[in-house]
Amino acid sequence: MRFEWLTHLLSIQWRVSLPLFCLFGLSQAESGTTDEAGLDFYERRIRPVLVKHCYECHSANAKSIQAGLRLDSTSAIRVGGDSGPVIDPGRPNQSLLVDAVSYSGDVSDMPPSGKLPKRLVEDIRKWIAMGAPLPDDDSPHGPQPRKSVPIEQGRTFWSFQPLKVQKLPDVTMRNWPERPLDRFVLRKLEDHGFQPASSAKRRTYIRRVSFDLIGLPPTLEEINRFVSDRSENAFERLIDRLLASPHYGERWSRHWLDVARYAEDNPTSEDTCRPPLYPWPYRDWVIRSLNDDTSYDEFVRRQLAADLMSELAPAQVAATGFLGISPVYHKEPRLSAQVISVIAADEWDERLDTVTRGLLGLTVACARCHDHKFDPIRMEDYYALAGVMASTQLVEWPLVETSLAEATALTQTREAIVDYEQRVNYAEQMQTAAQIEQRPGEVYEMLVQKHQETLDALKQRALFTGPIANAVRDAGVWVDGRDPDWTVMEYRAGEPRDLPIFIRGNPNNHGKVVRRRFIEVLSNDPPRPFHQGSGRLELADAVFTDAQALAARVIVNRIWGWHCGQPLVRTPSNFGAQGDRPSHPKLLDNLARRFVAHDWSLKWLHREILLSATYRQGSRGHNETKGQTADPENRLLWKMNRLRLDPEVWRDAVLAVCGRLDPAMFGKSENLDEYDNRRRTIYGRVSRQTNSSVLQLFDFPDGKRHVDRRILTTTPVQQLYFLNSPFLLQHSALLSENCDHATSAAVQQLFLTILLRRPDGDELENVENLLDSASSRQTGLQLLAHSLLASNEFLFVD
Amino acid sequence: MAVLPDTPTYGTRREALRSLGAGISSVALADLLFTNQASGSIAPMQHFVPRAKHVIFLFMRGGPSHLDLLDPKPLIKTYAGQRPESVKLRTERVTRGLMPSPFKFRRYGQSGTEVSDLFPNIGQCVDDICVLRSVVGGNPNHAPAGNWMFSGRIDQIHPTLGAWMSHGLGTENRNLPGFVSLRKVATPSRYVRHGYLPGEHQATPIDVSQDTPDQMIAHLQNSKLAPADQHHQFDFLQQLNRKHQAGRGNDAVLEARIRSMETGFRMQFTAGEACDLNLETQSLRQSYGEGWFADGCLLARRLVERGVRYVQLEINQWDHHSDINRKIREATREVDQPIAALLKDLKQRGLLDETLVVWGGEFGRTPVSENGNGRDHNHYGFSMWMAGGGIRGGMTYGATDDFGFKAVKNIVTVHDLHATILYLLGLDHERLTYRYSGRDFRLTDIHGNVVEDIIA
Repeated sequence: MRFEWLTHLLSIQWRVSLPLFCLFGLSQAESGTTDEAGLDFYERRIRPVLVKHCYECHSANAKSIQAGLRLDSTSAIRVGGDSGPVIDPGRPNQSLLVDAVSYSGDVSDMPPSGKLPKRLVEDIRKWIAMGAPLPDDDSPHGPQPRKSVPIEQGRTFWSFQPLKVQKLPDVTMRNWPERPLDRFVLRKLEDHGFQPASSAKRRTYIRRVSFDLIGLPPTLEEINRFVSDRSENAFERLIDRLLASPHYGERWSRHWLDVARYAEDNPTSEDTCRPPLYPWPYRDWVIRSLNDDTSYDEFVRRQLAADLMSELAPAQVAATGFLGISPVYHKEPRLSAQVISVIAADEWDERLDTVTRGLLGLTVACARCHDHKFDPIRMEDYYALAGVMASTQLVEWPLVETSLAEATALTQTREAIVDYEQRVNYAEQMQTAAQIEQRPGEVYEMLVQKHQETLDALKQRALFTGPIANAVRDAGVWVDGRDPDWTVMEYRAGEPRDLPIFIRGNPNNHGKVVRRRFIEVLSNDPPRPFHQGSGRLELADAVFTDAQALAARVIVNRIWGWHCGQPLVRTPSNFGAQGDRPSHPKLLDNLARRFVAHDWSLKWLHREILLSATYRQGSRGHNETKGQTADPENRLLWKMNRLRLDPEVWRDAVLAVCGRLDPAMFGKSENLDEYDNRRRTIYGRVSRQTNSSVLQLFDFPDGKRHVDRRILTTTPVQQLYFLNSPFLLQHSALLSENCDHATSAAVQQLFLTILLRRPDGDELENVENLLDSASSRQTGLQLLAHSLLASNEFLFVD
Repeated sequence: MAVLPDTPTYGTRREALRSLGAGISSVALADLLFTNQASGSIAPMQHFVPRAKHVIFLFMRGGPSHLDLLDPKPLIKTYAGQRPESVKLRTERVTRGLMPSPFKFRRYGQSGTEVSDLFPNIGQCVDDICVLRSVVGGNPNHAPAGNWMFSGRIDQIHPTLGAWMSHGLGTENRNLPGFVSLRKVATPSRYVRHGYLPGEHQATPIDVSQDTPDQMIAHLQNSKLAPADQHHQFDFLQQLNRKHQAGRGNDAVLEARIRSMETGFRMQFTAGEACDLNLETQSLRQSYGEGWFADGCLLARRLVERGVRYVQLEINQWDHHSDINRKIREATREVDQPIAALLKDLKQRGLLDETLVVWGGEFGRTPVSENGNGRDHNHYGFSMWMAGGGIRGGMTYGATDDFGFKAVKNIVTVHDLHATILYLLGLDHERLTYRYSGRDFRLTDIHGNVVEDIIA
């Protein structure tokens, strides 16, 4: 029998009644003999109950074992406790265990927190009646919290290894490889008896690579130029042209913004979590940095700590929007400091999770309540990094040189205004209550007046009016519960905060204090405590020194996935034991190593992949039947994956073929559902609450938390959008109105504009039928344009 | 560009298939794709014999006062205006002394369940209803408490009940979505999110305050094209797509979109039919009464009748911080008759046995007054009710303390409620999981027990 116990305890809201363990995914045991059926019954129905309801006091791991009774191993169950055996196999009525859980007999009622549901009591009776079958294995296994993964042993895991030099493998089809990575792919294909697919046609390739790099279709002229370019470096020149386009940053910034869970508001919008006022400078910073080919390590370093890098221009502070636009949750001042502490801890958790899964592919957040069950990550590691988040304040910050006082006044004033608005409101409530109940209310009246005066004065303050971004700065974050009626957050600039371990994840139950530092298993030496302010810059440096190999693998894998539709490691944000293993480990290492050697240049990496014979393959396999049978997921890369356009690329493409796309770059976001908004989708407003319909319908991530990759769905409600949305109706009408007067020329023109090709004979016949049956010629052309825009050919990339 | 399902995503066959269809569960989808035959529901994830197939959740957003509706507490009158130690519980706002309810409670039906005069019609149905008087929520503020009620957590991240159901059971009707959200506005409620579950489990929002189906569902109908033109266009589009596909080795992803396009095209008419309340008789419509909420109840019945798994109907008018006696009277007047009509209608059609109806808010209200004439939020103990779908009617379960502030007997947590609802649908809340962010998540987090005593 095999069990899969996932004993995670990640409770967003910590509650006193938390059972010690939680169980998921108990897999169906294989069926077998009667003995096995009995054991199966025990494992599926009894042990989980013991774990959940009894282990807290009756297991080896209990704080103190009660009544000398352990229920976590076969021998212990048979022996019983201080009162003797608790089960009498075959005789439930004689068994103390049954008395205890039925709340009958002379024994204590168990569990003390409340009677078990009847069904569970019946299960226990039934199991004893069956003879109380127990497994031979005496070790307390299964749901026992496993011992933490030892650090030294953990270091041997594949993703923590240094990047090794990988010899290029020998291959038979020597002429096929174009780039070093092709040798790895081809060798594997040959080992499995596969042949690569033939190369994509040039017009297919240019369409693919244009959408891929700049998120726009090629023009007819660009296609023709490339198709007829017989020069030796035609492919290189095409890629270089696209990489040099400012549209490259507009396309690729969106990939990164998915990782950074960028959005322009918060999951809710109460007083203390109103939308950030200046989110888009971060988005613009990402676009510019990618266009400049800022090396990836520097790109990340600035996002974590540009405010701490004195050599940078003030405008670079926009980079820290990565953390500065993190989701903020409402902190109702009327709630107790204990409750607000949980909310603050949730915010730190989300940020830590984005940093660790996003940059390192590690689920460090699993170690919030206990050591990680599968990876060598300790609670100490979690709280060492959570301390960095607890030493970082989300602020509005000027993008030009100003005085510190002027800069800090921005956030301080805004938060004080919110606070005093709430205070006035609350005092007014008290005043009204007093009035109704005919009690003296002068004290509240005075409070209202006093707070209102403070509020008015705050609103009069002159604030910096130049360019501003939502960013971060160093300041320790505390929950101030001194006033029992009014809980507020307190920020202490220049006073970083080391957090204690929150026992079982409860921020109100403190263990030992952990110094802020990097994750132990990834550190070359014992991790050094951070001592420059919050430690964000030291954290960034550690990612690219101590954890260099992992960080490089993670980003190379992401880039590969964004190009090819499937990453080499299919869990791009989980490179831990529970994650996927790479399909081509040597390729990944080889590419990652050379990427680091090429100064972490993303444009270098794009070239390596896009110019490879692997990427140049067609999307139809050499032997499709064999491929579909032997490797339906195309893990071996026997062809290029056919891809569906992301919603933002699709919208931009429609605007482009209609000649309406506004090329203006940067600036404040606009509503995507407005017909008059002709700007690229990257400049559209993105929300953690309600997104524009095109984004919402087509699997756009919601920005509430880091997601490792987009998961595509195909639903009828989406198709209603293609059939009936104003966006399609308006654009198909526009295209048909701008057509040539002669019908046949108009048809050719629509095919060329939208599908970048001429119709063939069959298609012309179908078009003719359509035009004949339509209520008017103009309508017919509109129907044609609409169909082409809604077609699979337009939506998919071969 | 993102992954396509012919390069299946990491994980199971279920995941590999999920992108292909109409929010249809994977096995049903495989059926749709590969055998092309009509069939009834196929529910691959059922763990128990289901008692119910559908859920209608009547969500009284804002927090209706159990003390004025379902949980009589005569002792409040005795201590009116006082603040005994047991009512000094911390709530969202400032509260004062105990405030009795002015509404009379009566015993209804054979069971004699007590219901206040504000619910005279629902009172007639008590023999089908189990009133839970000991529900405990998770938070005293609206949004987190609402999240708690629908996703078992206070945050905005986790999937809600309807999405979990869609994930577990799929839809019964390929021409309609499995999860529908009915409100007075066109945007979906915040309590119907699919979270990290695939997008096919998102709710389809229907604005029931609109008169016609095409106003109720976004993009349902074509505002510009004549039906005949649209038909021609659809035929042409599918010819184009077929030809495109034929040249590409009959790719399953391309096939899925062609099929899905067909379903979408048909949905214009089927959903239009489902949402067209004018197809009901005048006398039946009268029995539901007037107003958008009455229409919502009727539409909920039409949808479950057509195989929609989960319908969430929300009415946001229960946050009675002041002047509660007047406001709650108005609020109940709008919902009492339609809800009772829905129960009777379902029963009369034999649908109540397979449809679980759940009624309640994100919390109840305090026995102590706010502003002298209102009641504050109370998540310590409040009432909800369930009917049909395997529920034992004609009973009350659990109890609050003498003043109705805190649940004290047979406590039902929201996780218990979820576990019970899933159980009635044939789903084990501990086994209905989804892997996200490196681990398996469930609706009930690490909590929840099925409340067996209320199951028929």
